[in-house]
Amino acid sequence: MTLENVLINALEQGFIYAFMAMGVLLTFIMLGFPDLTVEGTFPFGAAVTATAVVSGISPIYAVILGSLAGGIAGAATGLMHTKLKINNILAGILTTSALYTVMLRLMGRPNTPLLAYDNVYGQVLGWIGISQDQLTAVQNHIAIILTLSAVVLVTRLLMGWLLATDLGLAIRATGNNERMIRNLGVNTDNTKLIALVISNCLVALSGALACQVQGFADVGMGIGVLVAAVASVIIGESLFGKRSVGWLLTGVILGSIFYRGVLALALRLGLPAHDFKLITAVLVLGALSIPLLKRKKRKNGVLNGGTVPRWHRTVLNLLDNKADGRDVAR
Amino acid sequence: MIRLKGVTKYFFPGTANQVKALDNINLHIRPGDFVTVIGSNGAGKSTLLNTVAGVIEVDEGRIELNGKDVTDQPEYRRAGSIGYIDQNPLASTAADMTVEENLAMAFMRGKRRGLSRAVTRSRVTAFKNTLTQIGMGLENRLKVPVGTLSGGQRQALALAMATVVQPKLLLLDEHTAALDPKAARLIMDITDRLIRTNNLTTLMVTHNMEQALRYGNRLVMMHRGKIILDIGPKEKQCLSVPDLVKKFTQSSGDVFDDDRVLLAQAE
Repeated sequence: MTLENVLINALEQGFIYAFMAMGVLLTFIMLGFPDLTVEGTFPFGAAVTATAVVSGISPIYAVILGSLAGGIAGAATGLMHTKLKINNILAGILTTSALYTVMLRLMGRPNTPLLAYDNVYGQVLGWIGISQDQLTAVQNHIAIILTLSAVVLVTRLLMGWLLATDLGLAIRATGNNERMIRNLGVNTDNTKLIALVISNCLVALSGALACQVQGFADVGMGIGVLVAAVASVIIGESLFGKRSVGWLLTGVILGSIFYRGVLALALRLGLPAHDFKLITAVLVLGALSIPLLKRKKRKNGVLNGGTVPRWHRTVLNLLDNKADGRDVAR
Repeated sequence: MIRLKGVTKYFFPGTANQVKALDNINLHIRPGDFVTVIGSNGAGKSTLLNTVAGVIEVDEGRIELNGKDVTDQPEYRRAGSIGYIDQNPLASTAADMTVEENLAMAFMRGKRRGLSRAVTRSRVTAFKNTLTQIGMGLENRLKVPVGTLSGGQRQALALAMATVVQPKLLLLDEHTAALDPKAARLIMDITDRLIRTNNLTTLMVTHNMEQALRYGNRLVMMHRGKIILDIGPKEKQCLSVPDLVKKFTQSSGDVFDDDRVLLAQAE
């Protein structure tokens, strides 16, 4: 792998997984909802897209369909949690588990190859009168990266806009201080549901775009994607700051590119690819535990104080089961 | 305005620890009333407020707001008419969001939240007006995350949020109890001023007898889930703290022994 390839890989994969990172940012960090559905929605988005393409639907519609299917999975988790009061982690696990069967039923087998079919990137190039066959491999990658970057940019702007609306503020407040926002007249069941649907649409979009690049969909392609997304979010938050929601969104996209870049570089340096998931897990664990170890040194550290990073607080709240501010001081 | 009829609430019902937190409460608050609620620990003061706000469902009895039965309405449905400030400064504001975002959320209290921009120029003008009324300089710190403010500033912001859209009823649950004495006095002064100028109907829980006597036009004393004293404006004016302790002993047959309340007089 040349350095050029490392860069191409970082950008291509980084942009593909950026949607997922934004989705994870929305649920894990903003909503304080550790949504494990994403491990299932990612391959689900791919499976739906692949099945749609095979059955003759135009790739662009197939991708949109895949993304929307992810939203339905998110709604399933959300309804289980809000209406049936299932624990948030268990609700995600239930959906993920169920999705596995749905995917196998949908595709009829664990894997659907797509190389024989048109993909969405070729379709986009076709709109401006270029055929994928005319381009060299590198040119093709660049075309894919340009297409992805445009979609990422639009998504970033849409998310930034959404999170600054009255509804967006209510969603963020649901994660920040649920009791307060209920007090202000928001049914937090609805904000959770909306956030889960949007988040899982984004995750499934990542899956759909991934299967279009790699030329197949596989039921197992979701394993470990969540940890990678969390890593991207952590990198984004720590490298590019959390001054505002806008910075956070941009940071998470850059974090995704950075993370994929490091992986590509490690691959180039000869690290075996099957070691990546363990390395990522250890890195995420390290990043999460450093502030915790620091916190233990401080006596009477306030759990919800400003010093503990937000992503980390979600984990702490999970441990202490203190989701809203009210429980903290009483 | 608000009427409670035979409101009863049990905690841990059906267990050995069953507690009657509210015992057949009947209370009628008229528009413009500023009622202070006092009582020792476990008297049911906060529970009373929480049932009015809808945070806690009642087991028996009815609650009417403006002649409408709201007993079965969840908290978020009552929110349009009720402003609520908790004693914990962390509870009434969202720490990770900015001052103006917090106010924008309060601005939409009880309204349908859609996809229009939350912090607009016209709203910011309204926020600045409200914050200037509060008088703690927060109008110059609109873009600051609330988590970086002091406890007093956060309660001041909570007051601004409770009044940026005039509520029909303001509930204050010992909202100065967690502050240092100086900040507590400041916040209490601001509260009193806001209530007077906006003529807000208020129910304020306090541990501080002196505070309960100084503010408001009506005083309600609770003991073991019951209202044992309900003192109107005339009688309240000439009442002192020792009188109140005496009245407590007469009405409840108990000795008033809550250190927090008794010590609070000395302040």
